[in-house]
Amino acid sequence: MTIDSDAVRHLSEASVSVELQTEDMTLNIGPQHPSTHGVLRLVARVDGERCFDVHPVIGYMHRGYEKLSEVRTYPQITTIVNRIDWVSGYANEIPFITAAEKLMGLEVPERAQYIRLILTEMARIASHLIFNASYPLELGAATPLFFALRERERVLDLLESVTGGRFHPNFNRIGGVKPAYASGSTTRKLLQDLPAGFFAETRVAMDKVLEAVDELDALVADNEIIVARTKGVGVLPPEVAVAYGVSGPNLRASGVAFDLRKTEDYLPYDRFDFDVITGENGDCWDRWHVRLLEIKESVKIIRQAIDTIPSGDLQAKVPKVIKVPKGETYVRAENPKGEMGYYLVSDGGQGPYRLKIRSASFSNISILPWILEGILVPDIIAVMGSLDFVLGDVDR
Amino acid sequence: MTSSPSDTETQETEAQETPAEPEVHPLQAFADRVAEAVGGSAEIQFDTVKVKVAADDWVSAHQTARDQLDLVFFSWLSAIDWANDVASGDRLGEAVEERIELLTALSNVVDGNLVILSTDLAPQQPEIPSLVDVYAGANWHEREAYEMFGIQFDGHPNLIHLYLPDSFIGNPLRKSYPLLSREVKPWPGTVDVEAMPNANDADEPSTENPES
Repeated sequence: MTIDSDAVRHLSEASVSVELQTEDMTLNIGPQHPSTHGVLRLVARVDGERCFDVHPVIGYMHRGYEKLSEVRTYPQITTIVNRIDWVSGYANEIPFITAAEKLMGLEVPERAQYIRLILTEMARIASHLIFNASYPLELGAATPLFFALRERERVLDLLESVTGGRFHPNFNRIGGVKPAYASGSTTRKLLQDLPAGFFAETRVAMDKVLEAVDELDALVADNEIIVARTKGVGVLPPEVAVAYGVSGPNLRASGVAFDLRKTEDYLPYDRFDFDVITGENGDCWDRWHVRLLEIKESVKIIRQAIDTIPSGDLQAKVPKVIKVPKGETYVRAENPKGEMGYYLVSDGGQGPYRLKIRSASFSNISILPWILEGILVPDIIAVMGSLDFVLGDVDR
Repeated sequence: MTSSPSDTETQETEAQETPAEPEVHPLQAFADRVAEAVGGSAEIQFDTVKVKVAADDWVSAHQTARDQLDLVFFSWLSAIDWANDVASGDRLGEAVEERIELLTALSNVVDGNLVILSTDLAPQQPEIPSLVDVYAGANWHEREAYEMFGIQFDGHPNLIHLYLPDSFIGNPLRKSYPLLSREVKPWPGTVDVEAMPNANDADEPSTENPES
């Protein structure tokens, strides 16, 4: 066996390798593995306990949404985009709907914008709670799962009470939001709005979520094993993160205070007081902790929004058959997983000429070959889990 | 409404589509700065800044954007197939010059200013140098554009299929590529769906309150 360049780079291992005449082994992880959040396959070259040349193999979830969008009408596309990142399906609709509204020059009623904002933040809480449930589990701690999922269920119940769907709400309409569920064709002409008791239940749920965040913090942050497995592991420097387009909590954990809720105007976030949470070291620990603290910020936003929500219409006046004028625009939004955006090219018809879907997880896991280079095999799961991706969001 | 592609003159076209827009768009200064630095022509459409550059300047324009304009965040790379004949979906209303338009979205991580860099490629055998050395994140995006549009990225370290099996033939996001499910079954499949009662007023909910 000859010494290859990778072995030379790691002299200590190389000497062992030559001495023991160990051979590189190709290790296949996935596609079905509990910690891959879908179907992701990794092919890694392993020398002892270290892995090199990690090649993620994706595409098992590829559903061709960009092509499908070209033969669908605009109202039909929200059903498709729900299924991109299914952990926070609601949030996927927002940038698409906003892009179409921008081309149509529609002014969305304020109440509808507030409802969108409240539900988006609920989707963020649900997504971050799922992460806080599954990540400790991947590291061997099963208890936090129950705390996180219990509160997530409350949030999903609220989402369901408004939209009728837990995962795929399909709630946004061009020009506003869909009227409350249970308003079938007979009651449809009556006044339609948020379900009764929604605000009171939201207040209760938000209190419970905050309690759960504190419980999770105590459970996980004080756990020596988790700290040992995450602190200093999988460090992602900010300059590498931006070059790969890593966004959202993963980017903020590396110390970059960049949050599209602060810079873009797709929803009225500028009226609310909230902080952009950042980490210091960009390791697995920071990625976990940023997401935990972001739940608190989302609770803060929801509480302010339900206190100040204006009354009024839920929908702007739109024609029965929606045609979007000719033009191109790119609208991006801060989704729970990072930057999600749609480059919409319309030719004036009922469906887009081209719809480029920029999803957060795609760029977030394109970092895997870089971040897993030279890492210990057991740390693969710790690093992958901390990036919080969903394969539907990767493959589209 | 949209300006014709590859304008040689750098006259700025103000977005005329939205009448409420002030005379000068807030992003106009940023658009001019980018256009001047990378040597292209800027256009603002619906708050999106797009700068058109020549294919020969593709890599150098990105280098400038990253190093001089602080656009360090590589958001995405993709393409649009401008074609007059389509195998699926709607045809364009007016005939266009057939081309593959390659796009990248770059942004800074301070105030979120974003620019779309765009260049035109020949629809047959489109070929362009790879951006992997400028933005490492271009790797997967270029693989996607390679399999979906058939664009050849010179100097790419690993230009193989990203989503589709290795044996897959064709470039699905090309307009000439048919959507097979549409070929074998007509859409929207009205034959097997019963009409809803009160189908006339069931398609769009009313926002009016008749009791008010």
